[in-house]
Amino acid sequence: MDDLRKYAAELLEKGEVAAVIGYQQVSEKRTKPIIAKTAEDCAKLVFNEYCLNNLAVYLTKARVKELRRVNGAVLKLAITAKPCDVHGIVALIQESQLKREDVTIISFNCAGVVKDFGMDFNGETLATKCVPCDTHKPLYSDMVFGEEKETPKVSDEVLAKIESIEKMSAAERFEYFKAEFDKCIKCYACRAACPLCYCQRCITDKTIPRWVESSAHSRGNFSWNVVRAFHLSGRCIGCGECERACPMDIPLSLLNRKMVIEAKEAYSYISGRSLETPTLVGSFDVKDSDELFM
Amino acid sequence: MEEKIISKEDLLNLCKDVIGNGHTLITPGKTEYTVVKDTSEIVLDTTAKPTKASYKTFVFPKAEPVIYYKRGKNDVQLLDVEVEQKKTVILGAKPCDTNSFNILRHLFNWDYKDEFYNVREKQFIVIGLMCNFSDNFCFCTSVGSSPVSDKGADIFLVPLDENNYTLRVVTEKGGEFIKDYSKYLNAGDEAKTKAVTDTVKHPEIAFDSKQVHEWLGTNFENPKWDGVGDLCLSCAQCAFVCPVCHCFDIVDEDYNYTEGRRMKNWDGCQFGHFTLHASGHNPRDIQGKRYRQRVNHKFKYYVDKFGEILCTGCGRCSRGCAVSIDIKEIVSNCKD
Amino acid sequence: MSEEKWEPKIVAFVCNWCTYTGADLAGTSRLKYPTNVKLIRVMCSGGIDPVFILKAFERGADGILVSGCHPNDCHYNAGNFHARRRWEFFDELLKFLGIEEGRLQFSWVSASEGKKFVDVVTKVTNDVKAMGQFKAYKDLNDEFTAKFPEPVLNEKEIIMSEEDAK
Ligand code: SF4
Ligand code: SF4
Ligand code: SF4
Ligand code: SF4
Ligand code: SF4
Repeated sequence: MDDLRKYAAELLEKGEVAAVIGYQQVSEKRTKPIIAKTAEDCAKLVFNEYCLNNLAVYLTKARVKELRRVNGAVLKLAITAKPCDVHGIVALIQESQLKREDVTIISFNCAGVVKDFGMDFNGETLATKCVPCDTHKPLYSDMVFGEEKETPKVSDEVLAKIESIEKMSAAERFEYFKAEFDKCIKCYACRAACPLCYCQRCITDKTIPRWVESSAHSRGNFSWNVVRAFHLSGRCIGCGECERACPMDIPLSLLNRKMVIEAKEAYSYISGRSLETPTLVGSFDVKDSDELFM
Repeated sequence: MEEKIISKEDLLNLCKDVIGNGHTLITPGKTEYTVVKDTSEIVLDTTAKPTKASYKTFVFPKAEPVIYYKRGKNDVQLLDVEVEQKKTVILGAKPCDTNSFNILRHLFNWDYKDEFYNVREKQFIVIGLMCNFSDNFCFCTSVGSSPVSDKGADIFLVPLDENNYTLRVVTEKGGEFIKDYSKYLNAGDEAKTKAVTDTVKHPEIAFDSKQVHEWLGTNFENPKWDGVGDLCLSCAQCAFVCPVCHCFDIVDEDYNYTEGRRMKNWDGCQFGHFTLHASGHNPRDIQGKRYRQRVNHKFKYYVDKFGEILCTGCGRCSRGCAVSIDIKEIVSNCKD
Repeated sequence: MSEEKWEPKIVAFVCNWCTYTGADLAGTSRLKYPTNVKLIRVMCSGGIDPVFILKAFERGADGILVSGCHPNDCHYNAGNFHARRRWEFFDELLKFLGIEEGRLQFSWVSASEGKKFVDVVTKVTNDVKAMGQFKAYKDLNDEFTAKFPEPVLNEKEIIMSEEDAK
């Protein structure tokens, strides 16, 4: 931890970065984000299995970008990111929301985090997103801390659930998702917590015409959840923040994971893995499958 | 105020009767308060965490039509929406939930009497349950309530032992309701109840709401607000799960070219476009200003206007916030 | 409405340069195709946002066709290639959510394929006819209005006269 704090403080001191986006401990089993602007703030930085948030969400916020302007110069931002969060940063760079040279990535060797704050870290409480994770070392980084550790082995419940849903009839599936979406209260916490829902103006906020009904009734909820899942298709990095943020416990990761699998199977593409490849939905291949079309 | 004793079994029988009489019975579920279909679903647990969402949706639905309209060639036909007349009983509400109607009522009966709210509230029977849970986010004691407070409840339950509850009739409405079920009640024992409630651990008092009120009056501009704003993600989780947040938005929804309904939907002050004017100007253009509004509304404006704090101290907003913004911590920090 | 009298509502989102022209050709060649189909002309298949589909279902469509130029024939060079990837995902998502296969279909129809256009819309119409009304999506609406009483506008109606309106 001390190396991390020292490194972050040095970055600030050298005037290389304007702020360090990181985690701070708020209670024994809970952390929260901090935007460290002073050496004092840096002394609070931590990294442990309670660092659930994907901090990449802050990189596209206007007020955070604004922080980069210091005394007439435009400095970089540093961010502490788990290897999976790095995928989010890479995806943002791929989608031209960010430049690689504008961000200093401080990453960690990671063995997973807990499902929720307040839990002990053991095999059973491994976060859903960590179960299928295959990158315990960051793919891109400017600095890596922490030792490599063994990740607990846990059965993949989300995948099992997806498989069981696929075995249902269409009518049953529709019923299942309708019941889940009905719980939605349209708080848009899923959107707010998602690093890739960075749109200045989301389609649900457009009123002329009103594409997605703002009411939280069955129909409005259905279109909202379909539209969001679709907009994240081929883009979602599987960080699970949407589901964690959802107050109504809607299993959003089912949809996202399903589409991640689809992208992988149909196009051998996983979002946020390479700065060299163009985004999946922003590009095309003339040889793409034509099966769907009569 | 009258105390009775009811056995666990009879409490379930009472519930069965409530459902049998065609009333709606609601209890805390895993995420939200849910309608009970079978009494076997009922779990009364004083140590349970507050549900993620409050029960306000039952009096002030997340989305409801307020009028239907149909456009003719030269006229518009309107049809009023009638609120369903159905008694609703909430069983097992925590003290930080029971108090919510006392606070909300003012808003819906101020310059305009909101019939939708009033009709529903009138039909509500709130059966509270003593609370034996507390975590870092709870602060009911800082806003004038407590884990054993029966404020706002019509009837209040205190578990005496494995098999018995004290049933306290708090309001006239509660007395009226329990009349039909008096066969289940036995003589109460106030001393026993007190012995139980005295053992309950109260959350520490985190702030003095009077001092907070005073500080807010002179610190509309304060750099502290920016610090909060840096982290908040501008969703409405905190407002939507809150038992007393009450902002709504009115939208017209056509279901074909001539007919439609006017909807009343929840809205929240943390959304960036909540105060966005048609001109493009936004008086609360940055998140800090929005969070300042949240705190001021709850701990200053509402107090000035209605004499109540717009917060029951349930801690839901903080517990559910994706970036762990803690209202208790922020309000405690409202001092020099 | 009795079962026999029910006719499916089909919405076809077609691109201006190929499929719409193909449909035009079908018309000028006096080919017959089911009148259930309502064409909505869009400049390019790449410009058909999936929310159009949801909106059409919301407004009561029983089946939807999306059609554009054949690959390599796009008027804007690559619109249909982009569309192809997107529809692949959207179709997969809808299937996963339990929207029956066949409610939403896709085709490439060029300006010279009047006959193909007729075949495609006939197939979609027949498929949807066999599936029946899209009840599941309609229930999404019905349930909402059922929760609150369906307006019976002729009874108890309040007429707002022109004077009131002032
Ligand atoms: S959709 Fe959910 S899991 Fe995917 S990137 Fe966004 S927040 Fe993460
Ligand atoms: S749901 Fe779609 S439009 Fe809305 S913010 Fe996310 S990606 Fe953008
Ligand atoms: S976070 Fe959950 S309840 Fe809120 S809008 Fe998203 S899906 Fe709906
Ligand atoms: S305080 Fe938390 S829940 Fe409330 S708007 Fe901000 S991020 Fe969302
Ligand atoms: S502001 Fe937060 S703590 Fe207060 S009543 Fe609302 S949800 Fe509960």
